Amino acid sequence: MISVSHLTRRYGNQIAVDDVSFEIGKGEVVGFLGPNGAGKSTTLRVLAGFLSPSAGTVAIAGHDVVEDSFEARRCVGYMPESVPLYPEMRVVEYLRFRAELKRVPRARRATWIDDAMVKAGVIAVAHRRIGHLSKGYRQRVGLADAIVARPPIVVLDEPTAGLDPNQIREARALVRELGREHTVVLSTHILSEVEACATRVLLIHRGKLLAQGPTEDIRSMRASAAIDVVVHGDSDAAKGALEKVAGVASVTPSGAGLMVRLRVRFEETLVDLERATATERCVAAVVGAGVGVREVRPAGGSLEEVFASLTGDERAAGGDS
Amino acid sequence: MRAFWPIFKRELFAFFVTPLAWVLIATFLLVQGMHFFLLVDHFSRTSDLAGDETPMSAFFGNTVLLYLVLFVLVPPMTMRLFAEERRSGTVETLMTAPVSSAAVVLAKYAAALTTYVAMWLPTGLYLVILARTGTLDWHAAASAYTGVLLVGSGYLSVGLCASALTRSQFLAMVWTALILLVLFILGVGEFVTREGTAMHEVCAYVSVWAHMNDFASGIVDSRRLVFYGTLTVLPLFIATRAVDAWRWA
Repeated sequence: MISVSHLTRRYGNQIAVDDVSFEIGKGEVVGFLGPNGAGKSTTLRVLAGFLSPSAGTVAIAGHDVVEDSFEARRCVGYMPESVPLYPEMRVVEYLRFRAELKRVPRARRATWIDDAMVKAGVIAVAHRRIGHLSKGYRQRVGLADAIVARPPIVVLDEPTAGLDPNQIREARALVRELGREHTVVLSTHILSEVEACATRVLLIHRGKLLAQGPTEDIRSMRASAAIDVVVHGDSDAAKGALEKVAGVASVTPSGAGLMVRLRVRFEETLVDLERATATERCVAAVVGAGVGVREVRPAGGSLEEVFASLTGDERAAGGDS
Repeated sequence: MRAFWPIFKRELFAFFVTPLAWVLIATFLLVQGMHFFLLVDHFSRTSDLAGDETPMSAFFGNTVLLYLVLFVLVPPMTMRLFAEERRSGTVETLMTAPVSSAAVVLAKYAAALTTYVAMWLPTGLYLVILARTGTLDWHAAASAYTGVLLVGSGYLSVGLCASALTRSQFLAMVWTALILLVLFILGVGEFVTREGTAMHEVCAYVSVWAHMNDFASGIVDSRRLVFYGTLTVLPLFIATRAVDAWRWA
């Protein structure tokens, strides 16, 4: 559906996206994950046809975004990050305008607009002025706009930014729902968001594509890099016991006094299940040493740490060549 | 070009839903109404005055009031056309729809021009009043309104172009007023520069003042049509290229 090869986008001298290539197939829900300023929005804007590539080619459903921009744009429903809308219009007026602009045939316009409003959950506010709506509803109006012309591809830039936890849950459910009928591309800087919505993840950092793969891979990367064990009692004894456990690479204590947090890093050769059993052995060892265990939880799974390990890997790979 | 119609409708709606539109139109009609009243009053007192001066020709020609009103009205009418969309970000949803830059520019321009015509429409009543109380040269009236339409087309086009070239509505307004004012003053140069010099020719060619005097007395000169055609088309073309260039910025 989407084919990007060697995409580079500059703003003046500043490079926002640097030689990025990827393919997205029909029916996929793909999440762009990266810290703020990584180049996610720029990439999505190129996909949506708002910006042209500085170098490289981008094809949407076979249409080049520069040569055949018109047809490419017809295939994409796009919701920009800030969800810009016309505040003076009523929701249904706005969607009528957008549907006409996107060339929904006149005979189907009313049905498709109703359909989009039902799916996005804005039917209750159809006749309210957009300027009077809450942030959550405005986001949904943006979603309704993205799907109103029933495009094969939906591109959503930070679809949950600025929403409260309830709205975030609803928005994620909506995105999953969209995934049944559309190819969905979304961006976020929140790791758990991508896990909740996407089937595949593209990690972007400083304009470069760091890694891509199924969401499960990212999940396992986050779940088992290390564990934190909070012990109550003789922490030196606990540390000694933990270091003897098979599969443990290092133990770093933090804090002092009766309660000490021990960061246990596993050897990198361990795969998922082995890490799980190693975790069990760790707990048994601490208990065996006569020290109380207060808390055990996976650690090292934050986005920053995933990125740190990936960028570290990249540097190592660069050093080899 | 199929995007023309929905954008045109939305622009008109967006303009008339703001209080600004009604303030502008009310101000315009108030000033024009007073102008008309004073003129008619003046001519009714000095009925023995011979010559080709009539309330009609004085209303449209040989008066600075027409331009003052346009300088004040046109910049706020056009300032939001593009600057507002770029500031609020709606330009992103607009330009990612399957629309061509030309359709966007023309639709916005047509909406501004329609508003302008709607603003002048009530002044048609003055003609009716004049025709009922005396004789009216309908030919001159048609020519005068042609002049008003041509001057407006050019001015609005300049305003739209300024709006496409800046993100700030305020700057768009200031730039438009400045360009129109400079153009006007350059035209007045016709009466200052020596006849026969190139400068004089240029000034005469762009003299909105002189053009309107001609139009008001029923003279439609094809050179004027070319001038206002250029003043309309050139800024529209620049604006279209500017809109295209946003993708590459």
